[in-house]
Amino acid sequence: METIHLKKHIEPELTFTKWFKNVYDAVKTTMIGMGITFKYVWARDVVTIEYPEVREELPANSRSRLYNDAENCISCLQCAVSCPVDCIYIAAVKRPTDAAKIKTKDGTPIRLDLKQYTIDTALCCYCGLCTTVCPTECLTHTTDYEFASYTLASMKYDYLAPDIRAWRTRIVKS
Amino acid sequence: MSTHNENADKIILGDQEVLKSELLTLNMGPQHPATHGVLRVEIKTDSEIVVDAIPHLGYLHRCFEKHAENLDYRGVIPFVDRMDYLAAMSMEWGYALTVEKMLGTEVPKRAEYVRVLVAELQRIASHLVFFGTYGIDLGAFTVFLYCFEDREEILRLFEELSGARMLYNYIWIGGVWNDINDSQLNRVKAFCDRFEGELHKYHTLVGENKIFIGRTANVGIISEKMAFDFGATGPILRASGVKWDLRKNRPYSIYDKFDFDIPVGVGEKGTVGDCWDRYHVRVLEMFESIKIIRQVLDGIEEGPVMGKVPKIIKVPAGEIYMRTECPRGELGYHLISDGGKTPYRLKVKSSCFTHVSILPAIAPGLMIADMVASIGSIDIVLGEVDR
Repeated sequence: METIHLKKHIEPELTFTKWFKNVYDAVKTTMIGMGITFKYVWARDVVTIEYPEVREELPANSRSRLYNDAENCISCLQCAVSCPVDCIYIAAVKRPTDAAKIKTKDGTPIRLDLKQYTIDTALCCYCGLCTTVCPTECLTHTTDYEFASYTLASMKYDYLAPDIRAWRTRIVKS
Repeated sequence: MSTHNENADKIILGDQEVLKSELLTLNMGPQHPATHGVLRVEIKTDSEIVVDAIPHLGYLHRCFEKHAENLDYRGVIPFVDRMDYLAAMSMEWGYALTVEKMLGTEVPKRAEYVRVLVAELQRIASHLVFFGTYGIDLGAFTVFLYCFEDREEILRLFEELSGARMLYNYIWIGGVWNDINDSQLNRVKAFCDRFEGELHKYHTLVGENKIFIGRTANVGIISEKMAFDFGATGPILRASGVKWDLRKNRPYSIYDKFDFDIPVGVGEKGTVGDCWDRYHVRVLEMFESIKIIRQVLDGIEEGPVMGKVPKIIKVPAGEIYMRTECPRGELGYHLISDGGKTPYRLKVKSSCFTHVSILPAIAPGLMIADMVASIGSIDIVLGEVDR
């Protein structure tokens, strides 16, 4: 015959006076708690941010939506190498020797023609490693945080497409 | 795992035989508000009494250890964040210490201070989540909102420092990403002054409440021997009455400079090692963290926050085991390197995993409602359990 032995839950012995003391303590401590919460009715400002009406301004170095300023990109591939989830796709070809010499904003000569610069935002983990290695600081995290979309395909941002380039005036920190 | 025979004829609770009915199998989780994530506990009950509790893991498994073998040493940090997402700073710090020790990197003094500062703030933020959600588990919703309001302040500071609210990638190998400025330090000081009073208030609201004491005192007792047997660490071990804290007993970084106490459970409301003790140890730890933060603010030095680290990190061949005290217990990294750009093997010893294993030992004999109190009090984060 098998038996299951279970430990008994320790319960202090309950006497008549103890029972009344328990009730008294419960009411008393609950009233103290109610007193603490009661102060919050008037003594506190509202802390909730009512989102769609009130939009929070994120701190300046907040890591949100990525933006690559393609004009300043030298196609060095450092961002793609440092990315831990491999979500940056870059294609570049060598610039013809007879083409006009162009430079980035900070004076670095551009030797490669950028043909594709796509970031799959659905894979991105917003760790910020790509922006720290960027030598010309063209790839930046912006403070734009409202970019939910319905399809996975629409989360692939091609930074050479004109509609995404148009963000520049809207979301890039100068 | 010791499971009881389902076809046993008798159930003896304490020294009393109870009327045995057919055992009912109940699934608690994976989607259950009291399991704090995706933990499934298979409970066998005889009416209201739990006879067996078997935790099933793996719902949040993300192959972290295998991933780490294919990432460079800097790229591991974002993954490390995602283990214990409520205490990401502490996770990063442990990893950074491990790699720095292998590399022999000197971390600047200011960076060390900033690291202690953010780790202790993170400890407060993490314990506040415990405080709030434990309140919810036991039916006290109000304190959850208060705790999250204070936690928000810490997260806001972290967002300004690192750019993210939860998964920071802030502590890097060799230092920290951004420097902290004076106005932020003043804000931390103001937060400490305000929060100390608030915490006393929250403790009066929840911890001193007779109903809360009734739900937690004498419930889910983990004795000192049991804590050692299961390898419990952190607040669970301390609540069982063992004065052990890696920050004090095996100081890493600059913790030997600070003066603070190790709170231990004394069985103030019931028995040593019950749920109330585990709750109280965490509350006291928050006060100790404030003490450490104040000392950091006094002692912080000027200087750089990033040491000299090669652009491509190649760790010399060898292996190391490094452990740090995280909010939930001891976190260990076992790193094996073959001299390449990626770790050869990175094994993580997580405290939450060992703490889950205590559950089958304390559950038999409890009521189902006490199970909720017990799971809540060991404060597990499933991201760290499964990795």
